Amino acid sequence: MKVKLFGNLRQKAGGNELVASGSTIREALANLCADNEPLHTAIFAGAELHPHLRVMVNGRDCELADGLATAVSEQDTIAIFPPIAGG
Amino acid sequence: MQGWAGNILDINLTSGHIETVPLDRDMARLFLGGRGLGARLLWDLVGPEVEPLSPENVLIFTTGPITASASQTSNRFNVSTKSPLTGTILHANSGGWWGMQFKRTGYDALIVRGKAASPVMIEITPAGVAIKDAAHLWGKGVFDTTAALEQNRNKRNVLCIGPAGENLVRIAAIMNDKERSLARGGAGAVMGSKNLKAIVVEGQEKNKPADPDQFKFLLYETGKLLKASPLTSQALPEFGTAVVMNVVNEIGALPTRNFQQSQFEGADKISGEEITDTILVKNQACWACPITCTRITQTKSGKEGEGPEFESAWAFGAQCGIDDLDAITEANYQCNDLGLDTISMGNTIGCAMELAERGLLANDLGFGRADRLPGLIHDTAFRQGIGDDLAEGSYRLASKHGAPELSMSVKKLELPAYDPRGMQGQGLVFATGNRGACHETGNMLGPEVLALPRLIDRFATQGKAGIVSVHQNSAAVIDSLVYCKFANMAVAEEFFARTLTAVTGEHFTADDLMMVGERVWTLERLYNLREGFSKEDDTLPARLLHEPVSAGPSEGFTVKLAPMLEEYYAFRGWDKNGVPKPEKLKELSLEFVMEVAHD
Repeated sequence: MKVKLFGNLRQKAGGNELVASGSTIREALANLCADNEPLHTAIFAGAELHPHLRVMVNGRDCELADGLATAVSEQDTIAIFPPIAGG
Repeated sequence: MQGWAGNILDINLTSGHIETVPLDRDMARLFLGGRGLGARLLWDLVGPEVEPLSPENVLIFTTGPITASASQTSNRFNVSTKSPLTGTILHANSGGWWGMQFKRTGYDALIVRGKAASPVMIEITPAGVAIKDAAHLWGKGVFDTTAALEQNRNKRNVLCIGPAGENLVRIAAIMNDKERSLARGGAGAVMGSKNLKAIVVEGQEKNKPADPDQFKFLLYETGKLLKASPLTSQALPEFGTAVVMNVVNEIGALPTRNFQQSQFEGADKISGEEITDTILVKNQACWACPITCTRITQTKSGKEGEGPEFESAWAFGAQCGIDDLDAITEANYQCNDLGLDTISMGNTIGCAMELAERGLLANDLGFGRADRLPGLIHDTAFRQGIGDDLAEGSYRLASKHGAPELSMSVKKLELPAYDPRGMQGQGLVFATGNRGACHETGNMLGPEVLALPRLIDRFATQGKAGIVSVHQNSAAVIDSLVYCKFANMAVAEEFFARTLTAVTGEHFTADDLMMVGERVWTLERLYNLREGFSKEDDTLPARLLHEPVSAGPSEGFTVKLAPMLEEYYAFRGWDKNGVPKPEKLKELSLEFVMEVAHD
């Protein structure tokens, strides 16, 4: 599935979009970060997401679904935003 | 001074009379300063009989008790007046240096009344207060005016209008420190109507805390909080305010082509990330601010200036279907020089583009026409050709061409960069805004999208009224202190209360501050009721209430305003017509407005 990255995650990932596989968000993100420790550190605080980091599936925040256990499929698009503010 | 200087400078441009009057300390305690003090003074000075562009309207520039104290972000100031765009009460605030410098002249507020016979400027320096001829500056842009008046960042600061204000453009801004703006609602036109080109300030006085040790401790602790927060120490400095472009787009709440869609295919090209990668020269900070969110940018043609901020990038970008960042950035520079509100300008151009595409406006305008931006902005500021219609704002423009429903405005103030069909609470914020549709008076981006302080369902309506009310009250008190709202992303109201106590020597709690916020909000509401506004004006453009989003994550949603509004009035202690009840007015020490509310 497509994974879109934003803010300073782009530098850590080496691009704006990556591809990952997995049946849940946790699996997809674990695969995404498997060979990229800086990216893993930027996304995870231990086993959980960093506070205020947002993960969305097709534009919907996973926190309001099942969090990292939210089911995903190949057709989904995951978007990851580091802590951001503005407006 | 310790918090308040205790003085209000009162200038009548018709008579040339200059007077210093004492600040009412009870009033200061109830309304603090900034937006609150401005609203309280305006209540007494400008009634419903006053036309906004007549000499009887006033401009009230206010600082707050913490202004110039060196507390982080204590640089901001406010202007209050009756808006020529909306007819409502208007408050607008700005950062930079001017607010700090004005406070150092020894005044909490400046009231400007009347109308000069010819263009003038006001100069406030240690040598005194003078009204001076400014005929040689009339017609000049903001950048040239600021330079001519010898802006010197920490010593002498210039506030002025550009040609847009001179030509009474209803979306004209007042500019300070060259590229900061008191943008919304047309305060620049009020200044132009008074033949007042500029206000220059040089101050020497200090805002010395009553409790210097406690103040130093709070300065240190606040600094630690700002540094520890990834929002204020990383996101804003690295990418500026436009870093939220992509997230607002991702969720399907980025208004596109005059709110016909809620996602823009070119969002990433106009985002904070793109600005940092392509046109950013360096960051800049307002006085006493460690956040440094301001962008100094340079386009390919070599033009350099501040911005664009998120709202400006959206207004000339997604709203107009334009993804050319250089064109957007130069449109932003141009508005700063001519003295225009970028949100209303871009929103109004987007409205004109839809009118033209629907055959309602005889013009070859259309979405995506970046090449038309410079000409349209220029013609608006000088009221030439179609610009004379754009200068009236989107509501009057769309009404003239037979389609007022195509104006994306509330109370005639153009909506900012959020499609509330994807953020229901934001819809309630816009509908109930005292100055019209506004993102600065209770923005729900935090709780509905960014999980600040925690995430709530953006599509839900039940329970939103209370959260919106608290956000509105909080924004009102921050605007009255006056702090920057970005500081509040890392620093809670409790810290603001402790700092206010240390500066003034008078005890304030966080609850006291929230009460001030509610008091200010309610007084503004009463002001609008006195002007003839009613529950009927607490609404949104028909498109947002009746046209479901056609695609994307917000597909199928409209704003379900009615139930939220009913809950909102009840939560605020207002009756079903949106009129604050007598017991609420008493609770807020607003008995003096009782007659208006319940005659």
